[in-house]
Amino acid sequence: MRALRWLLVPIVVVPVVLLLLHGFSRDPAAIPSALIGKPMPSFSLVTLDGRTVSTAELRGKPVVLNFWASWCPSCVDEHAALLDASQRYGTSVQIVGVLYQDTPDGARTFEARYGEPRWPTLLDPNGSLAIDFGVSGPPESYVIDANGIVRYKQFGPLTQQVIADQVGRVLSAATAGRGD
Amino acid sequence: MAEPMLRRFAFPIALGALLALGGLVAVILLRPGAAPSQAELAHQIAADLRCPDCQGLSVADSSSASATEIRRQIDAQLSAGRSADQVKQSFVDRYGEWILLSPAAPIAWLLPVGVLLAAIVMLALWIGRAGRPERPGAVPAVSEMDRARAREEAEALDA
Repeated sequence: MRALRWLLVPIVVVPVVLLLLHGFSRDPAAIPSALIGKPMPSFSLVTLDGRTVSTAELRGKPVVLNFWASWCPSCVDEHAALLDASQRYGTSVQIVGVLYQDTPDGARTFEARYGEPRWPTLLDPNGSLAIDFGVSGPPESYVIDANGIVRYKQFGPLTQQVIADQVGRVLSAATAGRGD
Repeated sequence: MAEPMLRRFAFPIALGALLALGGLVAVILLRPGAAPSQAELAHQIAADLRCPDCQGLSVADSSSASATEIRRQIDAQLSAGRSADQVKQSFVDRYGEWILLSPAAPIAWLLPVGVLLAAIVMLALWIGRAGRPERPGAVPAVSEMDRARAREEAEALDA
């Protein structure tokens, strides 16, 4: 009976410690996306250079949708990784930027300074697309497959490695799908 | 004198406190209220949603661009005839449960209440047992060998 009573200590302590370990091992600011496995929200927005881009146009190829701002320090390194990805994947992957709470002038200055992108940057003046994607702050990115299904959310800056892993996963799933 | 009284009444007091707490929660949850206006409803919904780009602020309390847009969307959805739950769900669908300032999962509410109840019950049992007089049989019996040794030691002291 006494041994049983002492058994209560690990029974109470172990779950609490595991819960704390789980809680402290994750970034409290990182929010898991509710959109994974679901179709991306539809939109039709004007780009920095005045064109209109809609979800329908983005079907057929994987998309990296990147929410960024010129005032976001970690967007600088991420921009370099995206320039690299754009060169590496060419037209097989579509990169689309979305300006988050920023001005077109701020975006143009950023791009002139850190490298002119080959991809469009959408203007989201009232932030409704950011809300539709559940964005809490830049940089945040979504990898969407060729069928328009959201497959991955990156909280924080994209790196070459993350792009290679996640875009590679979507591309190989598409190849496997075509092979079936 | 006061201590045994306290011990004797500990369990009924704990039980009474528990029932009162339960009653209070039931009254708060079940009390009927006047139907709020759309502006009040919009404010209530905004107060229940976390501002996505703030630190610990609700959408109602923030003036950030995201909070402003969410408030506009709440108004638009209510005007379109959607219920408060439907409006909240539309944000949960995009942000997940994270967007709710109060967790919707019952476990988040039930777990602390369950732990508190268990602690109260254990405390009441412990106080109740501590106040109970020990049974005569619980006193360890003195063996014949111990008696003999005590007798020998007493005789040795006398000598």
